[in-house]
Amino acid sequence: MSRPLAHLSDEALVLLAARSEQSALAELYDRYGRIAYGLALRVLRDERLAEDAVQEGFLALWRTAARFVPERGKASTWILTLVHRRAVDTVRREQRRRADSLERAPEVAVDGVEEHAWLRLQRERVQHALRQLPDTQREALELAYYGGFSQSELAERLGQPLGTIKSRMFAGLARMRELLGEPGMEMSWTSTS
Amino acid sequence: MDVHELTAAYALDALDADEAEAYEAHLAQCESCRVELAELSETAAALAFGVDSPAPPGRLRGAILDAAAAERANVVPLPHRAWGFRVAAAAAAVAACAAVGLGVWGATRTTTKTEALSAVVVVGADRHATLTVSGLAAAPQGKTYEAWVIPPGGRARPAGLFAGGGKTVVHLQGTVPSGATVAATIEHAGGASAPTSAPVITAQA
Repeated sequence: MSRPLAHLSDEALVLLAARSEQSALAELYDRYGRIAYGLALRVLRDERLAEDAVQEGFLALWRTAARFVPERGKASTWILTLVHRRAVDTVRREQRRRADSLERAPEVAVDGVEEHAWLRLQRERVQHALRQLPDTQREALELAYYGGFSQSELAERLGQPLGTIKSRMFAGLARMRELLGEPGMEMSWTSTS
Repeated sequence: MDVHELTAAYALDALDADEAEAYEAHLAQCESCRVELAELSETAAALAFGVDSPAPPGRLRGAILDAAAAERANVVPLPHRAWGFRVAAAAAAVAACAAVGLGVWGATRTTTKTEALSAVVVVGADRHATLTVSGLAAAPQGKTYEAWVIPPGGRARPAGLFAGGGKTVVHLQGTVPSGATVAATIEHAGGASAPTSAPVITAQA
């Protein structure tokens, strides 16, 4: 597949997308579509719903690209936030999926040859960092981010005061930031070809 | 609990809708929260890399690009450059732009503008549209800009008033039929029922 914009930064691509440059949207999808889909699938446990969340997220990017402010954060963060938000909105409407969200995610069949080594490396690093968190913090982050539970739902589910849940989420995220900020951890897109 | 302390939950999308709304209102006024949110959001997004990532179905890419093209089919952004030309030059620009369905007339009468004028019309599938204008000087005292929708072969219909200055998004009243022209003129405050002056911008939907 020819990727004429492969040399551009994510942020430059968003600026092009803001000017209706469709190939810029295509390139952003080629960089983050797979990660976004994996995330949506983890939250929603349903391929069709995950596809919808990814599509809605990328279309939100397309519609609002002109409002992106590079100084406020990375384009990749923004894209994943857009997709995650839609996935969470959907899972909160789909009550039947909530019941099993506390369980371990089913192993998704991933073709080891097909999956990029870079993605595998990132996954191992994030999972390694998560394992270093205290159990209560890890649980709060995983249920919130991967399970789509709101803080009030978590408080009820875990039988803890809301303030405790907030503290766990904050401490867990802050600790993850430290762990992931260590040298060698760069989450932005890099060429895998 | 202080709304200030909701940053991590917001970054994780773990707030209910009303809590998120309250937090966003707070965010608009709290620089330190904006900085902290930028950091924590980046970390939250990093969690996305922690799950299995099977390849999405091949059709998804095409579906997104097709939907994007359909949404933006009527949108032609103007090039960012100073539009300091006179009306004759503007007429030439209209002719040159006809092929892409967009024209700009006369910008403003001044030739000393430094900010690029751009006008973009976005027409949705339901034919409702927004006009986004930037680089247009604020309307003079006692005057207003008025947007118009002019159906092919029809008469201009008032579509909303706006003040100009900075970037302005105008939600056009009514619908914009295919082939219509969207224009803006300067009118007396309160607007007019038909345009009384030459348009400062026009765009064809």
